[in-house]
Amino acid sequence: MIFSTLEHILTHISFSVVSIVITIHFLTLLVDEVVGLDDSSEKGMIVTFFCITGLLVTRWIYSGHFPLSDLYESLIFLSWGFSLIHMISYFKKRKNDLSAITAPSAIFTQGFATSGLLTKMHQSAILAPALQSQWLMMHVSMMVLGYAALLCGSLLSVALLVITFRKVIKIIGKNNNLLNQSFSFGEIQYMNERSNVLLNTYFLSSKNYYRYQLTQQLDRWSYRIISLGFIFLTIGILSGAVWANEAWGSYWNWDPKETWAFITWTVFAIYLHIRTNKNFEGVNSAIVASMGFLIIWICYFGVNLLGIGLHSYGSFTLTSN
Amino acid sequence: METLFNPSKTAKLFVPNISLFKSSFLHSTFNPQTHILFNRKTLSFTINCRAKTSQGRKTDGKNISKKILLSDSAPELSNEDVEPKPKNGGGAWGLVRKLPKRVLAVLSNLPLAIGEMFTVAGLMALGTAIDQGEAPEFYFQKYPEENPVWGFFTWRWVLTLGLDHMFSSPIFLGMLVLLATSLMACTYTTQIPLVKAARRWRFLQSADAIRKQEFSDTLPRASVKDLGVVLMAAGYEVFLKGPSLYAFKGLAGRFAPIGVHLAMLLIMAGGTLSATGSFRGSVTVPQGLNFVVGDVLGPTGFLSTPTEAFNTEVHVNRFYMDYYDSGEVSQFHTDLSLFDLNGKEVMRKTLSVNDPLRYGGFTIYQTDWSFSALQILKDDEGPFNLAMAPLKLNGDKKLFGTFLPVGDTNSPNIKGISMLARDLQSIVLYDQQGKFAGVRRPNSKLPIEIDGTKIVIVDAIGSSGLDLKIDPGVPIVYAGFGALMLTTCVSYLSHAQIWALQDGTTVIVGGKTNRAKAEFPDEMNRLLDLVPEIVQSSISEQPG
Repeated sequence: MIFSTLEHILTHISFSVVSIVITIHFLTLLVDEVVGLDDSSEKGMIVTFFCITGLLVTRWIYSGHFPLSDLYESLIFLSWGFSLIHMISYFKKRKNDLSAITAPSAIFTQGFATSGLLTKMHQSAILAPALQSQWLMMHVSMMVLGYAALLCGSLLSVALLVITFRKVIKIIGKNNNLLNQSFSFGEIQYMNERSNVLLNTYFLSSKNYYRYQLTQQLDRWSYRIISLGFIFLTIGILSGAVWANEAWGSYWNWDPKETWAFITWTVFAIYLHIRTNKNFEGVNSAIVASMGFLIIWICYFGVNLLGIGLHSYGSFTLTSN
Repeated sequence: METLFNPSKTAKLFVPNISLFKSSFLHSTFNPQTHILFNRKTLSFTINCRAKTSQGRKTDGKNISKKILLSDSAPELSNEDVEPKPKNGGGAWGLVRKLPKRVLAVLSNLPLAIGEMFTVAGLMALGTAIDQGEAPEFYFQKYPEENPVWGFFTWRWVLTLGLDHMFSSPIFLGMLVLLATSLMACTYTTQIPLVKAARRWRFLQSADAIRKQEFSDTLPRASVKDLGVVLMAAGYEVFLKGPSLYAFKGLAGRFAPIGVHLAMLLIMAGGTLSATGSFRGSVTVPQGLNFVVGDVLGPTGFLSTPTEAFNTEVHVNRFYMDYYDSGEVSQFHTDLSLFDLNGKEVMRKTLSVNDPLRYGGFTIYQTDWSFSALQILKDDEGPFNLAMAPLKLNGDKKLFGTFLPVGDTNSPNIKGISMLARDLQSIVLYDQQGKFAGVRRPNSKLPIEIDGTKIVIVDAIGSSGLDLKIDPGVPIVYAGFGALMLTTCVSYLSHAQIWALQDGTTVIVGGKTNRAKAEFPDEMNRLLDLVPEIVQSSISEQPG
């Protein structure tokens, strides 16, 4: 009994802390930087990390098995993965762009997991015979960590695309007004730049220079994180195959979940290969990574909604209680 | 470099005795790669070049390398490295010779490989969207011709392209074969030369070349030797020659992608062997019965050959299940004995779900269970075995039932006692009207009175669902898996190269890295901060 109350307390603490952190970030972005609060947001993320870790450990002790047996637990693990990535990148280099991605991701996954949609699953369930294996720890944890890292990386690529193409969106809006206005030198420059938007060869204003720097940083960080996520995904898929061979006698069954995990792996392999060519680096690889974002969600959630195949443990039905 | 070796000028710059530059080469273009070897009194250049003569492209593709010695004496021309002229015995033969090279060049094209990967991914997605392995009538219904999905997709598409068995269809397997050949071509043509290029290291002699690197910095009062020590402490391999320094780290990160490709080829080979050379089978054996391994296994492909172990007879001693306190099943166990042709017991083991039995190359897995029969005593007579029929099979949730007729067994409206069970623990009994009568556990031996009949449940006999498999490709596939995991991890390493030059008391440092571009400047700044600053001006450094 004490464990479940402890669990509840930890869940609510982490949820509220992350909400406060996000609010602070938004205030900093939209209003003015409130001196002294910036540090507290980082401290808040540290508190969240420890809370979610405590939550997982509590669940582990209470149920007797590693906390990764159904969808609710894997969502909590996913939000733990996000806060872990946040911690590591914070300690490697203070004040980076990654925190803008990891903190909201952590709260959204945490929020979805604790929301009313999945209340049926909050209780720790018992493990089916097929899941009682040491491989559970390795396979599922590697997969979920891989998802977390790849999601972060693809979100960074999406951010890169948004920043690069914001100019085009603005210009398309401007074009409608150009007929009514007289051309000024600045606007003619804009139209020239529009044709060069895919080549980062213009430094006509300091604003462009900083934008270029930002996109380059995003590009490089996205590459590193996706490489790391790719390693985890590879290890997860292969350990899953070995486990399947030990349990059911065949290491690959073209199960929907397995197939979609392989599709995710292939798409990110395409991303890594596009980056070998210097010409295509940048926007093209970011487009592929954005596709990867959608594919990860299909693999993680979409297949579970079908509820068929060997991976039916993760399935759920959307009922509102 | 190009202009230096312009042939018309070269003839004048170098010793005019060089007979290499004859008139036939006047219209040649050279792409030289020079290695300068300092060799006491003589200066020798080795030039590898591809010569195109004005007589057409007869000598296209020929690599001629001549050693040119500039010395007081007449130069020697050593012809050791000249490749033999290709035999021009017929144009067709020349084409055939060129074909492998051209095919290789086409296959190792990166956009083609990316296109292939996209196609494979798309086909797999399609394979999950379309239900696999159903009867043709299912597709007639689901993708009818009168009302095609998306306007054109009918069952004709599904059945002719083999989309109902996508993962063994020719279109999918063909794409995989193409991808494998692209992998091999790319490894041979692109990756191996890249590694050779990366392994070749050289010192940069000019400060300008160093400043042009991605990251460069200047240390005003430092010594290049101190820098070398700092780099060594950080894990770099440092080479110091005179005033210049070269250091690198993480060269394994350049080799690892080749390992990744080779591991994938290994996995594909193992998978092919599995698909063509293995045996599979499943059997549901009631407790107490036997089966022979060879009777159950069926081949999967043309390479499957049976082994001696197929004569083993398997006897199910006991099948039992463990339960949680809540009543759900926690584990299945089967106690098996294996007997050889002579009847001698060669192995005895209790299997459970994640714990298979391995013997003689084949493996037995516990995958399923069933309810075979219910043993009862009726009015203290018996025991009678009532066969249990499966009423509902929904994965792990099953329902079995049996029926004990009471009264006149020949009348059409026969009534009796029904017994239902979800697992081997407890049996639920219903009377002749279908009303609930009671629950009994087989171990308790408690009698129950239903409509005047006394029933005692003696035993619940289960049957074990076993899958058998022999797969020669598994060791190869496992080796490929291990190699892939390892090489993928290693290819995360970033190959960093650093050059430095001592210019008076200043040290000019430059570096580049291939993967960790975001973190490299920070790491470099951190290392350069560690280099001590030389304060006294009276220190004289002897370079080298």
